[in-house]
Formats: sequence, structure tokens, C-alpha cells
Amino acid sequence: MQQHSDEALVAYLDGELDEGERRQVDAWLEADPAVRERLVALAQSDDLVRGAYAGIVNEPVPPRLIAAARGASEAAPAAPQEAEILVLKRPGWAAIPLPDRRWQIGFAAAAGLFGVIFGGVGTYLGMGMFNPVGPAAERQLAAAAANNIWLDNAAGYYKLTVNAGDTMLIDVPASNDPREALQKISQSLPQQVRLPDLKPWGLTFRGARLVVVEGRPAAQLVYGTDNKAIGLLTLVIGASKQPDIPPTFDRRQDVNLLYWRHQGRAYALVGQTDIGYLWGIANDVAWQLDAI
Amino acid sequence: MSFRWKHAEAPARAAERADPVSARFSDQLIAVLPRLRRFARGLAGTAAAADDLVQAACERALARAHQFQEGTRFDSWMFRIVQTIWIDQLRAREVRKEDGDVAEDRLGSDAAVRGIEARLALAEVRRAVERLAPDQRTTLMLVTVEGLSYKEAAAVAGVPVGTIMSRLARARVALQQQLDAGGGVRRSGKNAAAQ
Repeated sequence: MQQHSDEALVAYLDGELDEGERRQVDAWLEADPAVRERLVALAQSDDLVRGAYAGIVNEPVPPRLIAAARGASEAAPAAPQEAEILVLKRPGWAAIPLPDRRWQIGFAAAAGLFGVIFGGVGTYLGMGMFNPVGPAAERQLAAAAANNIWLDNAAGYYKLTVNAGDTMLIDVPASNDPREALQKISQSLPQQVRLPDLKPWGLTFRGARLVVVEGRPAAQLVYGTDNKAIGLLTLVIGASKQPDIPPTFDRRQDVNLLYWRHQGRAYALVGQTDIGYLWGIANDVAWQLDAI
Repeated sequence: MSFRWKHAEAPARAAERADPVSARFSDQLIAVLPRLRRFARGLAGTAAAADDLVQAACERALARAHQFQEGTRFDSWMFRIVQTIWIDQLRAREVRKEDGDVAEDRLGSDAAVRGIEARLALAEVRRAVERLAPDQRTTLMLVTVEGLSYKEAAAVAGVPVGTIMSRLARARVALQQQLDAGGGVRRSGKNAAAQ
């Protein structure tokens, strides 16, 4: 009898009873305080169970599961031999042997006066005026400095985008067919920019902008979500003559970056969300854009 | 500070992009991954075991994509695959017995774990779910957590609706008894759920 009434009460809570059965349970509840108490206890344990598992759907999905869903689990052997993801520290400017103090002052002034964008352009142009100790050192220094500028610019544009909010200037608004519109922005770039679909991550395309990173034009794709814990996320895609590098984590201006270079393109995924979440998205972006 | 990106976690290499139908199938699969992980966590208990289960389910789903009937619920189809693999694993490893042992260990009188802090309360609820019989656990996860109707849950589990009703009732009563025996969960559960 108890088992039977438990089944009825549970089905009552789940809205699985037909009209006649529901009325019968209503009558029990009306007549017997013990049944009412039991119903409350069952409802409470339901709430507890739902609460215990509610947070799992907001956890970052491990990249291996994304790869598996894309049918890519067998592609893992082709991945780099235990690629090491280095957290690069920004070298202090003192570590770069600037031959003339006025260049240090000049860069600081440029950055201060014109902000991150023009600062980046000025420094990129200024790199050619160094007098380094040798060709190899010159290349190394230029690469390190350019990488720093690239990342600073990507982070700077992210912050500009966040701060601008709805007033953000968009070159390519999200529309019914953003891919077609994106071709316009690609006309200013050395290579065609494709649009990764991040809807499976709950991210919708908000628009794209043409920006200047490391003195060169680049595309900044903006994605958003209603989930405040994730916030805005941008993907910067530009041309690069630097050698390929695997995805690498960095943090600039209080934002997280995952950046990598592949076949003449540089990518930076920028956001304030959890790094694990960024890893998953970077994996998917790389897959979709054939970037790694 | 550095991270090591192991092979299994490395980003997918640039393999050939599948045809549009397969790509759409993969997109559906990715969209349902968070819920599959939650369902699998309820069955397998730990995050690592749950993710292994989901990965196996993805691989099986892709291999049997042709068996999915358009117009039916994709999430239910995937829940069924996860459940089937999990049952296979249980049978293969006789985990049913192992689970019992583990559960007894965990039941042990660790007063701290049974404390009233909200975070621990959530963990305790999960442990209580883990101690349920596998068929009850599956039914509870499908209906109470994933919100499937009895009919949908019956289709996933491959049993009549009446069986779902009785499993669910037994699961909830057993759960309630465990939680009552566990002390402070009820008092702190509301706070925990709110976090």
C-alpha cells in the first residue's frame, strides 16, 4: 500500500497522473496530514538532486570530448608530441637592448598618447630602426617584441569592445548571413577570414571589426552570450610571417588569451572566462578553421 | 608555470571536414555534451569516469549515426547510448559489487563530510545517488535531473512506463532515507542548491 501511494505521489509531483488519478491524490492530501508531509519530503529530495547536478552543465567541456564529437579521436596521434603549453611571461622592456634611450621614451610616449592601437603600429615600425648586435639576435628580438605587441593589441581591443558595450562600432554586423558580409572585411586582409560557429558553446556571433594589430590589419570576431560568467569573447585573426607555434596561454591586461600561429596566420582567442573553457573553444575553432 | 597538453587532450588535427550531414550530426552532439556529461556523472559517479563514458558514447553515436531517426529526440537517443555503454561496463567489471563496497566505505561515519556546509551537502546528495541501484539511478537522472517524461524515459531505458514509475518511487524513497540518515543535508540542501 505504501509502495503504491509512493508511486502515486511521485507521479503526482512529476505531473504524470491523469485527471482522475490526480483528483484521487488531492483527496488523500486533503484527508491525511501524513501524506502531505510525505509529499513535501519527496519534493525536497527532488530539489536536492536537481541542485546537486545543476552546475555540471556549466562546466567547460573537455577538448577530448569535442574532438570525439567531431569524430577526431583517431587524429590524436597526429598531434604534436606532447605539445608543451608555455605560459609566456612578457619580457621586461629592460631586457630588450634598446640602443638609444630616446626610443624607449618614444615608445612610452607613443603608447601613452595614441593608446594601444597606434602604440602598436609605432613600435612595429620602430622595430626596424633598432641597431641590434646581429641578424639572429635581431630576428629574435623583433619576434619577441612583435609577439608582445600582438598580444597587447589583441587584449586591448578586447577591453575596448567590452567597455564599448552596445555602442561598439561594428564593420560587419551579425546578420542572417554573416559569412557573406564577412567577405567584405576579408578584402582588407591578405587572406579570407572564415567564421567559426560557436553556437554549441552557447556563443552567438555579434559582429566583426577590422582592427590594426602589430601594425597590420586583422579581423576581430566578437561573440557573446547571456551567461555573465562567460561574457564577451573575441577571436583575432591576422597574417603572420612568424613560425608556427602551438596554442599558448598568456594573460594581459587582466584578460586571458590563447594564441597560436599556423601557416601564415596568427590567432588569439581572448576573454575573461575560465581558461579551461577557452581551451575547449580554441580546440573547436582550430578544427573549424583548419588552423592547427 | 606550464601546462602539458597530452595527446588525448590535444586539439584535433586538421582532418578532413566531414560532409554537411555529418557536420550537422556532430554539431548536435556537441550541443548535447554538457547534458550528457551531467547524466553520465550521475551514473558513473566521478568526473573522469563520466567523461570516459561520454567519449565512448560519442564514438558509438558517430559509428551508428545512420541509425538515428530524424524527427526523434537526439538527446534521448544519446542518453540511451550512454546508458547502454554504462550497463555494459557494469556487467563487464562487476562494478555492481565494487560500487557496494565503495559505497560502504563512503558511508563510513565521516562526520565532516556529513556536515552541514552547503558544498558538502551537494556532494552528499551525489553520493546518495551513487548508492542507488543502477536502474533506479538511471531513472532518477533521466526524469528528475534531465526532465524527461516517463514515456521518454521508458523509451531510453527500454522498459514499460509502469516500470519507470516503480523504479522512480523506489529511488526517491531510498534517496530520502539516505539523506535523512545523512544528517544535515536537508537543513543545508536549500542553500547548496542555491549556490
